[in-house]
Amino acid sequence: MTELISGVDAFRERSAAGKRSETGFLRTLLLAFRFSLREMRGGLRGFAVFLACIALGVGAIGGVNSVAEAITAGVADQGQVLLGGDLRFELIQRAADPAERAYLAGLGRLSESAIMRSMARLPDGSDQALVDAKAVDEAYPLYGKLETSPALGHQALFGERNGVYGAAAPDLLFDRLHLKIGDHITLGKATIALRARLVSEPDAVSEGFAFAPRLLISLDALTASGLVQPGSLVKHVYKVRLPAGSSEKRLKAIQQEAGQKFPAAGWNIRSRLNAAPALSANIEQFSQFLTLVGLSALLVGGVGVANAVRAYLDGKRGVIATFKSLGASGGFVFTVYLTQILVIACLGILAGLVIAAAMPYAASAALSSEIPVPAQLGLYPGPLAMAALFGILVTLAFAVLPLGRARDVPATALFREMGFEARGWPRLRYVAATVLITALLAVLSVLFADQRRLAVTFVAASAFSFLILRAVGIAVQAIARRSPRVRSTALRLAIGNIHRPGALTPSVVLALGLGLTLLSTLALIDGNLRQQVGVNIPKKAPNFFFVDIQGAEIGPFSALIRQEAPKAKFEKVPMLRGRIMAVNGVPSKDLKVKPEGAWVLRGDRGLTYAEAKPDNATLTSGKWWPKDYSGPPLVSFSQDEAHDLGLKVGDTITVNVLGRNIVTKVANLRKVEWETLGINFVMVFSPNTLAGAPHAWIATLTMPNATSAEEGRILNAVTRRYPTITTVRVKDALDVVNDLVAKLAAAIRAAAVVALAASVLVLAGALAAGNRARIHDAVVLKTVGATRRTLILAYTLEYMLIGLATAVFALFAGWIAAWYVEAHVMKLPSHFLPDVAVTTILVALILTVGCGLLGTWRVLGQKAGPVLREL
Amino acid sequence: MTDAVIALKDVSLTLGQGASTVHVLKDVRLEVMRQETTGIIGPSGSGKSTLLMVIAGLERVDTGTVTVAGEMLTGKSEDQVAAFRGRTIGIVFQSFHLIPNMTALENVAVPLELAGRADAFQVAEQELAAVGLGDRLSHYPGELSGGEQQRVAIARALAPQPSILIADEPTGNLDQATGRQIADLLFSTVEARGTTLVLVTHDPALALRCRRQVTMRSGRIEAAEAALAAAQ
Repeated sequence: MTELISGVDAFRERSAAGKRSETGFLRTLLLAFRFSLREMRGGLRGFAVFLACIALGVGAIGGVNSVAEAITAGVADQGQVLLGGDLRFELIQRAADPAERAYLAGLGRLSESAIMRSMARLPDGSDQALVDAKAVDEAYPLYGKLETSPALGHQALFGERNGVYGAAAPDLLFDRLHLKIGDHITLGKATIALRARLVSEPDAVSEGFAFAPRLLISLDALTASGLVQPGSLVKHVYKVRLPAGSSEKRLKAIQQEAGQKFPAAGWNIRSRLNAAPALSANIEQFSQFLTLVGLSALLVGGVGVANAVRAYLDGKRGVIATFKSLGASGGFVFTVYLTQILVIACLGILAGLVIAAAMPYAASAALSSEIPVPAQLGLYPGPLAMAALFGILVTLAFAVLPLGRARDVPATALFREMGFEARGWPRLRYVAATVLITALLAVLSVLFADQRRLAVTFVAASAFSFLILRAVGIAVQAIARRSPRVRSTALRLAIGNIHRPGALTPSVVLALGLGLTLLSTLALIDGNLRQQVGVNIPKKAPNFFFVDIQGAEIGPFSALIRQEAPKAKFEKVPMLRGRIMAVNGVPSKDLKVKPEGAWVLRGDRGLTYAEAKPDNATLTSGKWWPKDYSGPPLVSFSQDEAHDLGLKVGDTITVNVLGRNIVTKVANLRKVEWETLGINFVMVFSPNTLAGAPHAWIATLTMPNATSAEEGRILNAVTRRYPTITTVRVKDALDVVNDLVAKLAAAIRAAAVVALAASVLVLAGALAAGNRARIHDAVVLKTVGATRRTLILAYTLEYMLIGLATAVFALFAGWIAAWYVEAHVMKLPSHFLPDVAVTTILVALILTVGCGLLGTWRVLGQKAGPVLREL
Repeated sequence: MTDAVIALKDVSLTLGQGASTVHVLKDVRLEVMRQETTGIIGPSGSGKSTLLMVIAGLERVDTGTVTVAGEMLTGKSEDQVAAFRGRTIGIVFQSFHLIPNMTALENVAVPLELAGRADAFQVAEQELAAVGLGDRLSHYPGELSGGEQQRVAIARALAPQPSILIADEPTGNLDQATGRQIADLLFSTVEARGTTLVLVTHDPALALRCRRQVTMRSGRIEAAEAALAAAQ
């Protein structure tokens, strides 16, 4: 900047000498802009990689965030339909009492529903399936339209005919139990006729994730099933349609009023403004993850930007020297070329923004089956502006140093016809500007992220990777320089190419290293997730979960299990549901907790009580209560979750169970291994805390090495004898999770492709730039007798040596990054998967080295004549 | 007080570092009078071009003083020297060094634009007409012959009406006939405008067209006219 000003001063000085016009800062900028446009008449040759890298990075960041905003806007816009009302009150294990019901009915039109998991069986008991039953009243749905095939009215669809109730279910249930419309199933003690296929349930997204297919029935049918017993895991949902035109203020006022009027209700109230919080949170998190991947692609692309700028300015050194000989200041030269680079960057950004703006449209079509919310299509300036800002900052971060170096091209070079290259570091101000821009980039990456810790880790890891890769580049060159002379001509040439001035080594190591590191990280995370869900969890997990076992049933049920599976491990504990209302007197909604622990407060949690410490529990602080304890209520809390909530021994927690607020004191913290899928609870209470509360039991059955047939036999025996007990086969649940993980993995792989594309682009650019210089070398070597075979061998060896050194680094760095994400973000056990890592690296290496050799082939085919005439 | 427009006093310059250090100029003293034409000759590596660079302020001297058009260049910043050069010194190169993406007219206008002249293009057009290229205004350097390119370079060097013109082998890249035409143009123009000319050449005939000849050898000014006569 001071240079620009001194340039302006210089112009002012000149203006006194003759017929000069008024000068100024703006004038200098305009002049620089004019010169830039003239300079760009040669076209954008050499900038293809630059443009592609910027477009790719900006497109990825802007696109991902535009899609996320489109979905979020869709959720906001269709809040009433998605929620199924203006307000939704959810109660666990109990229905609203008359006073609560009267209050709700007084707010507007009321619709009641009840949701619970249970077993749907064929009448002959030959087969069964877990279903997510939802019982609705005649007012359902308050908003939107329930679509079934055939389309039937409430009575026709759900009404009772000769003791048989009607229902609608999705194709999945029809397929699973090999049913057709009109067939009967039993649910608890009720017989149900499947009268229609469920096409669209307007408020499904607000009910949360369902592990099993929906079975839509009437409230009467649910009553008839006998499934709702004291302690049954049933959610009672009340939806209210307010008079038209009710404002957001009114919604908030009602929420507050309901809390004040019924402080012990323990209901979870949501409004149309927050119709699908879980979906919104997932989209938010996933878009952040993809934004970081996009930013990585942009950073990898930054290396391409730096290479392109350097190569371009190398070709402009004569012109720069000429400008200087004609009286241009260094600052002016810097401004001219900075303007050019920014104009080109803007073209790349524009292309990226077009991709980003189009992405919601493409994603809406592609994701319509995966995301149950229609995206609100349109242009989202926020994400686009953010992506453009990142594009500009990355360009500047990588272009300022080569520009600063070009500024110092001496005009004397014109007289000597040589020595144009400016070596070493540019002036301090350019180094400082680069540091500042990089810092700004880092700060913005963190500021734009909700999960700040993850963003900070990403920034630190990126910075560290850059430094380490630079060091790897220097080390590879140093080793090559010091290596002894070898007999093989090709190897000697390869080693020479690695360390000579202007070698490709630093840029190839940087581009390939960043891309491969990201790729191996993502591949390891993907592989580890699959390993966990596909292999490790099933090994440790029980085979069955039995839910909603009534107190009277637990004895005979246990006997049945022992008879059917005498060698299996059977565990049972009492279970209730409850919601944390406050911690140390601070209401849950006002608590500041770590994002990874927010789920504990979000909904209702399973609770149990125990007199003695469970066998699989390890206390990390505090003490277990004594036998026959009868003092104030105590709770044992899971250690990791306590840490996320900021809880310690001695703190108090208010839990609402069955409409009663219980204040308990944290007696101890205990380590819980969630991934075992055993019976684990965040909270275990002292028995006196829940004394008298009606509850059911939950049980697990573990049969190592059980065959599907054995599992089927037990499932059948249990459901036949105890139709109201819900049996969850863990294998089926894991299949659902596997399906989810597969979808997640597909997204991760798509992100990896973006990162690899950036890496390949940069590599191709670096090799192309290198190949231009190599044409001369190749021709000269050919004239002194080198064969094409020797040269191609030399280049292959060179790429392989550099690639291998980089790959070893990428493998190591990727492993550390994947371990961090798995252990600290996903909280899963992390395993190094050598086969996944090595395969990923090898495939990527072959691809990238192959690309390099393809370009080199052209070099080798170059005719000597024209090149020699130029020399 | 002399009428010297260029005055170099005990100028020494060393280039390179360590083992590759070269003492390029050694205690050089040179005065060039206003409107004088001076031809500098000498073998390759004798320091001729470096001397031109020192006069143009493109190279900083280690010791001694350089005064050009009454201004002491030693001690000025790079940008101050650039500004001074823009208004005082025109340079013609052996390889023309036109900017390839600019037309002849734009090339000639560059120094005027840099000086903030509002009439840059009018003046550039007149200058091109003066060197006989009034019909080549919108041609790019690649579309011009070597001789034409050098004419554009001369027009560009003279456009800001500099008091000094320095030329480094101005005919070195041209055939004999074209070289002669360019030399004629150069000398007639500087004479008409009263410009001081300092040129470096390997061509004794061209040097002899100058009023004064200076010979350099191993970084020193060896002799003037006598040396040239001996060389011939």
